[in-house]
Amino acid sequence: MSARPRRSAPARRRPGRAIEIWLIALLVALVATVQIRSQAEVEKSLVGTDTTTLAFLIDDLHRANDALSAETADLTQRKAALQSGGSSAADQELAAEATRLRAIEGLIPVHGPGIVMVVDASGLQALDLQDAVNNLAAAGAEAISVNDHRVAMGVPIQQTPGGVAIDGAVVLPPWTIAVIGDANRLAAAADLMTQQMRGDRRVRQATYRVEADVDIRAVVTQRPFVYANPS
Amino acid sequence: MKRDRVVGILVVAAVAMATGFLVAGQVKAQLLTPSNQVARYQALVHSVQDLEKTNESWRAQIAALRGEIDALEGTAAEQSAGTQALQNQVADLRAHAGLTAIHGPGVEVDLGNGTPAPTVGAQIGYLINYQDVQDVVNLLFANGAEGVSVNGRRLTPLSAFSGSEGEVIIDQGPPLRAPIKVLAVGDRDRMVIALDDPSALPDLRDRELRFSISLTITGKPDVRLPAYDSSLQISHVSTS
Repeated sequence: MSARPRRSAPARRRPGRAIEIWLIALLVALVATVQIRSQAEVEKSLVGTDTTTLAFLIDDLHRANDALSAETADLTQRKAALQSGGSSAADQELAAEATRLRAIEGLIPVHGPGIVMVVDASGLQALDLQDAVNNLAAAGAEAISVNDHRVAMGVPIQQTPGGVAIDGAVVLPPWTIAVIGDANRLAAAADLMTQQMRGDRRVRQATYRVEADVDIRAVVTQRPFVYANPS
Repeated sequence: MKRDRVVGILVVAAVAMATGFLVAGQVKAQLLTPSNQVARYQALVHSVQDLEKTNESWRAQIAALRGEIDALEGTAAEQSAGTQALQNQVADLRAHAGLTAIHGPGVEVDLGNGTPAPTVGAQIGYLINYQDVQDVVNLLFANGAEGVSVNGRRLTPLSAFSGSEGEVIIDQGPPLRAPIKVLAVGDRDRMVIALDDPSALPDLRDRELRFSISLTITGKPDVRLPAYDSSLQISHVSTS
């Protein structure tokens, strides 16, 4: 008589207990999974990146963010000038912007502090000059010319049967690369580049000098867009 | 009774959560080297992530400010023919500098990492690097590209590529990793022919064979490029 309720009671509670156990197991699994995955995600995004690379990355990002901050300040100032004045203020701003963009695009002569690098070699290819120009651009070059030919992103440097050509004009060695920008950063890059070049058998001479005022007279001829339309 | 049961469940749940944390902690401790290097590494990773967030925020601000300035200039240009002429000149210069979004016929070049070759030891040739992107971009500009973007980052006359193993940094942007999508607006046929030339991009094509790097070229009737959203300062250049 007394055994019945005892046997029937556990039978009634079994489904409830099972749910509780499942819930607890799920909770443990969830917490553990979230913890482990959050760690794995952090590692996955920068997998294979060693601490030295990360340190360089941080340095690059700091410099980039400083430049972005300066640009934001400059744009805020220009916006304020446009808001405060009428069309005369706009004319001033637009004229200054046009001159700045012409300098950036290589459409007008420019001068300023920088470096002059001289590379004398035989057998150097367009790829070598492209690399040199890119390294200097990455070191903050604001204007570059090679043997009095203005160079910027978009100006073709190609290999031709006659040698390396800039925008169709062959530039024979020695190459005199004039660069305007932060002289310290440019000198650091040029130092590294010339050291590497001197280890190249094709290179007879690779030197650079820092100059207070590098004059770049060469300009690029702007080609009107044929295919591109404003969005 | 019911209250006791609820309390009991809560206690069990708390114990379960604590067990979860302990299990996770134990697993992590076994997975990672228990040393200061790990903490230092994690601190560096967090610094990179924080700086990338700041970077994104600055670029969004710059894009917004350029839009506002453009609108203000437009309003001023409505009041004067001289201002209008100046604004047209600047609009053309901005388009060539990459400061304006453009669209038109063009090509899409997709670059993907390959697989490490077991016989080549520690070589990293299977990773797409910044020089691969630089080579593709130079080839495009030499063959009729009027504007180029890389993973949504528009190039300007001052753009430069850098980075280390498998990492591509363009101007002031955060590092990019493969897959890399290069988009170009311009003479589509000329660009496609140049890219399809087996003698073009020799290093990439060699690694395509050795490491199964993927290089896909697609001509497109309409390609859209965003405007450049970073700094274009030239503080050392004088024009006078």
